[in-house]
Amino acid sequence: MNNILSWIVWLPIAAAVILAFFPRNAVTAIKSLGLGASIVTFGLSFVVVQLFQDSVATFQFVESHTWIPQWGIRYALGVDGIAIWLVMLTTLLTPVVFLSSWNAIHKHPKEYVIAFLIMEAAMIGVFMATDILVFYVFFELTLLPMYLVIGVWGGANRIYAAIKFFLFTISGSLLMLLGIIYLAFLQYHDVGRPDFSIAHLYGLSIPMHTQAILFAAFALAFAIKVPLFPLHTWLPDAHVEAPTGGSIILAGVMLKMGTYGFLRFCLPLFPDATAKYAKLMIILAVIGVIYGALVSWVQPDMKKLVAYSSVSHLGFCVLGIFALNQTAIEGSILQMVNHGLSTGALFLLVGVIYERRHTRMLADYGGLAATMPLYATFFVITVLSSVGLPGLNGFVGEFLILAGSFKTHPTATIIAAAGVVLAAIYLLWLVQRVFFGPVTKEENRSVPEIAWNEVAAMVPLVVLMVWIGVHPNTFLRKMSPSVQKLMTTVQKGGQRGQVMVAGALTRRSAAPSPRGRGIWQRGPLPSGEGGRRPGEGR
Amino acid sequence: MIPTQWFLILSAILFAIGVCGVLTRKNGITIFMAIELMVNAVNLTFLAYARQFHQLHGLIFVFFVMAIAAAEAAVGLAIFISLFHHRETIDVDEANLMRW
Amino acid sequence: MTWNDVVFMLPEIILSIGASLLLIAPVIGWRLKEASAKWAILILLAITALSVVICSNVVEGLPQTVSYSAMFALDGFAIFFKLLFITAIAMIVLLSDDFLRESRYSAWEYYSLLGFALIGMMFMASGVHLASIYIGLELMSLSSYILTGFFKNEQKSTEAAMKYFVLGTVSSGILLYGISLIYGVTGSLNLLTIAKAMSTIITNDALMFGIMLLGAGLCFKIAAVPFHVWTPDVYEGAPTPIAAFLSTASKGAAVAIFARIFYVGLHDFQLDWSNILATISALSMILGNLAALTQDNVKRMLAYSSIGHAGYVLLGILSLNAMGLRGVLIYTLVYVFANLGIWATVLMLRRHEYAGERVDDFEGLHKRAPFWAFAMIIFLLSLGGIPPTAGFIGKYFLFAAAIQSGFGWLAIIAVLMSAVSMFFYFRIVVAMYLREGREAEVAITPALKLVAGVCLAVTLIFGILPAPLINQATESSSWVAARAAILTHAGR
Repeated sequence: MNNILSWIVWLPIAAAVILAFFPRNAVTAIKSLGLGASIVTFGLSFVVVQLFQDSVATFQFVESHTWIPQWGIRYALGVDGIAIWLVMLTTLLTPVVFLSSWNAIHKHPKEYVIAFLIMEAAMIGVFMATDILVFYVFFELTLLPMYLVIGVWGGANRIYAAIKFFLFTISGSLLMLLGIIYLAFLQYHDVGRPDFSIAHLYGLSIPMHTQAILFAAFALAFAIKVPLFPLHTWLPDAHVEAPTGGSIILAGVMLKMGTYGFLRFCLPLFPDATAKYAKLMIILAVIGVIYGALVSWVQPDMKKLVAYSSVSHLGFCVLGIFALNQTAIEGSILQMVNHGLSTGALFLLVGVIYERRHTRMLADYGGLAATMPLYATFFVITVLSSVGLPGLNGFVGEFLILAGSFKTHPTATIIAAAGVVLAAIYLLWLVQRVFFGPVTKEENRSVPEIAWNEVAAMVPLVVLMVWIGVHPNTFLRKMSPSVQKLMTTVQKGGQRGQVMVAGALTRRSAAPSPRGRGIWQRGPLPSGEGGRRPGEGR
Repeated sequence: MIPTQWFLILSAILFAIGVCGVLTRKNGITIFMAIELMVNAVNLTFLAYARQFHQLHGLIFVFFVMAIAAAEAAVGLAIFISLFHHRETIDVDEANLMRW
Repeated sequence: MTWNDVVFMLPEIILSIGASLLLIAPVIGWRLKEASAKWAILILLAITALSVVICSNVVEGLPQTVSYSAMFALDGFAIFFKLLFITAIAMIVLLSDDFLRESRYSAWEYYSLLGFALIGMMFMASGVHLASIYIGLELMSLSSYILTGFFKNEQKSTEAAMKYFVLGTVSSGILLYGISLIYGVTGSLNLLTIAKAMSTIITNDALMFGIMLLGAGLCFKIAAVPFHVWTPDVYEGAPTPIAAFLSTASKGAAVAIFARIFYVGLHDFQLDWSNILATISALSMILGNLAALTQDNVKRMLAYSSIGHAGYVLLGILSLNAMGLRGVLIYTLVYVFANLGIWATVLMLRRHEYAGERVDDFEGLHKRAPFWAFAMIIFLLSLGGIPPTAGFIGKYFLFAAAIQSGFGWLAIIAVLMSAVSMFFYFRIVVAMYLREGREAEVAITPALKLVAGVCLAVTLIFGILPAPLINQATESSSWVAARAAILTHAGR
């Protein structure tokens, strides 16, 4: 039980490796193994949730092994109250993907299952990593499977969408890599040995101008991933072209890697820069909320509508994060989970109907409630959850975010609240046009009802939507201490940072800077400085 | 005794002529001669310095360079002959099968 | 010449004799089949590698690592590169096998020329004296001019050889002039003596000019902008295994002398040549990667990408710190293996002498050869520097070195160009996986499988468990690094 987190990460990869040796035509066996592995993974993550101690704020189930000793990089995993729900979300959505695409994938089913299993492992790794370089490795590892999922199993314009997705994300993450390297140097000068552990990096005090640069490097990577307003253009393309499963994972989990990154790195590592640029981020987030909602409103394509609604909903999450208070951040984390559930479900349901009618245009539908009552029920519940109806999950998240951010940024909150109203308009209008009214097209009279596998995929999502709506405390209770700790890091860091900036300036001017032209810099080296350098073995 | 500078200036001029020849000429053999001029300008520099320092290093290096220049000549002429077989010309501008 | 001196150069002596025998074997009438040439050279390479290992162990017991009037070093740096070059040449031999069998040229001559090129490269790795470095460089270059034009019935091959020869000899001339000026100012050709002399010189125009000429010559050899024009044409025209040789082993040897000369000989010169190299590096990365975007020919694309990689390696050289030197070693190794893997995959697609060259030829490869298509992705990711491949480790060191020495702006360019490079590398992935056109015809021989398999294993193992590689690079670079550091402190 000591290394249960490793089990969760490596089980899907092990399954993928085993699958690689399966014969190509054993389709049912391949799908069953994929589903089985993902369900077992979910079970393990459920065990972690059960064993998780509510009152502990630090990382739990920690494991740490030497990986690259020369750089002080450790294979280190752990979960806190923030990460655990995103891990849970990932392990939940992967079996949902397998179930929903049980009969939908005819092209290369083996590679499809392998891609999703590797993607699952990488995403879990992103949320569990407590070493910043391990985080980066997993962050990059998610890219290739998603690229292939969009590119191989996607729609007509899939190659363009896949490349756009890949290039946007990789540009951001490569700049983040530079930031990580720079951070490692700072840590080295602080403690005298290379160390990439996130918990240790939190103790670092960085001068303001450096913080600003590093914040920019990290925030750019995460903002592309979220995606924040001007960087969102890859998202609609990727979603429209991706197969249903790809969309579910992309919207449900991958976008959260961005918001999670903000919480895990930008806020606690660069508190001063966060305080300074919070306003900018909030403005972008609010623009995203309104812009996404307005664009959704005019979309004739259901999938594009849902994709743009993601831009809007993720804007709420970013707003909550940069409101910088406990309520808003808790709401934001909860909203990440909510969005994963409801938008994942929406993509699933759009996929269901696309399978049957091979069109996603709103104009081609109407009056489906009569032909597919069960399907309509699921759809309406999901939409209501997404809209934020009290009693369902969306309400709790949005309410907490708005309540929290109102304290610090009332104007932005009021504008963002308009986004809630807009969401209600475009989503309910969607329901109205697809399900109600007269049946205008003959094809819609005989659409087959939602199948067993799709029901099986939907049920857990709907149950959770209701659960979070009725009893959000199950979730908030576990995340609360971690968020509290995050807030104290941010605030204390902010205060200490200001003291340290002044202190560092005087210290640096007095002593020759150890950072210079490198090992053979001219002039005498400060004693004890010349012997060891970052990356040099201990 | 002639000052070293004079040799250096002469060799610099020879080297410059060699470079100009390579850049402006089209005939392969002429280009090759210009390259030889460059190499020999370098030899002159070495000899001038070796005389100034009263060292053997520079002199010996010149022998190496001469040997290598001879090897270069052998390889280069063989390549030009092979090119001539294909094209009936050794004009380097005619060699345009691939974009430069 | 004592026994100790022989030990220093024993691998080169063995290889020289062996390569000469290979050359004359058919002439003196040994009745040998063409097919046995491959085995002869492979055995010769194995013996050479073994002798490198044995000799390096013997040399470790000796008081100094330099011999032959301080011209020839057998230090960690040299051993690292020698073993890398021997491995690379062995893999190029394996890549050439089918190619030669179909083309009916003499395999004996071809392999002996590869052997001579290897001797030159080994001298370059060991050279601590500008004369031995220059002679090694010329031996390698002359052999590679001939190998480029080896398919003399192919007009493209001959044309490529001509271009390579003309530009190559001009660049040698420029390099030589640079050497002569450095000799004139410092009075020596030995890198250590040069470095000592440098530390007393504040500024000197002739020396500055000499260093610039030397740098220009070296930049030609590693194909850095603006001395890169030969690369695409030569790669395209040369027989594919020779293009592989030029882009891996030959380039690696040039990187080795570049690093050795600048780290040991010139690091203490007041002229801030780092800034000049930084400009060259930035231009190489930008131009190489942007030009590669528009190429439809895989060989040209790889040529431009190799120009970009020259820019990356320069990051390690110009940053002048221990991290950078280690980065150069690691990156060269990683790059050689990833690139050889790609060339092996390109050769799998070969149908005639110049097929498998277009990006379109990769279409549908994952149906015909799913494993090798996957291997290709790994190689491309490694070149792009994406974890968990070995390329990431190399890039990490180079970026870190650049940041450490205050070239943050260059690191940002490098990173952005890595993203650009992923775009054209992924054109091949798109062709292999996403396009549904034809199915690629493949001819996968055991030799190609072996090469690609070894490259894949190295790329993945060092990507996931880089600790041994980093240790090795640290150890191997320690002599050069220590020499540079000692001189700095002694000189001041």
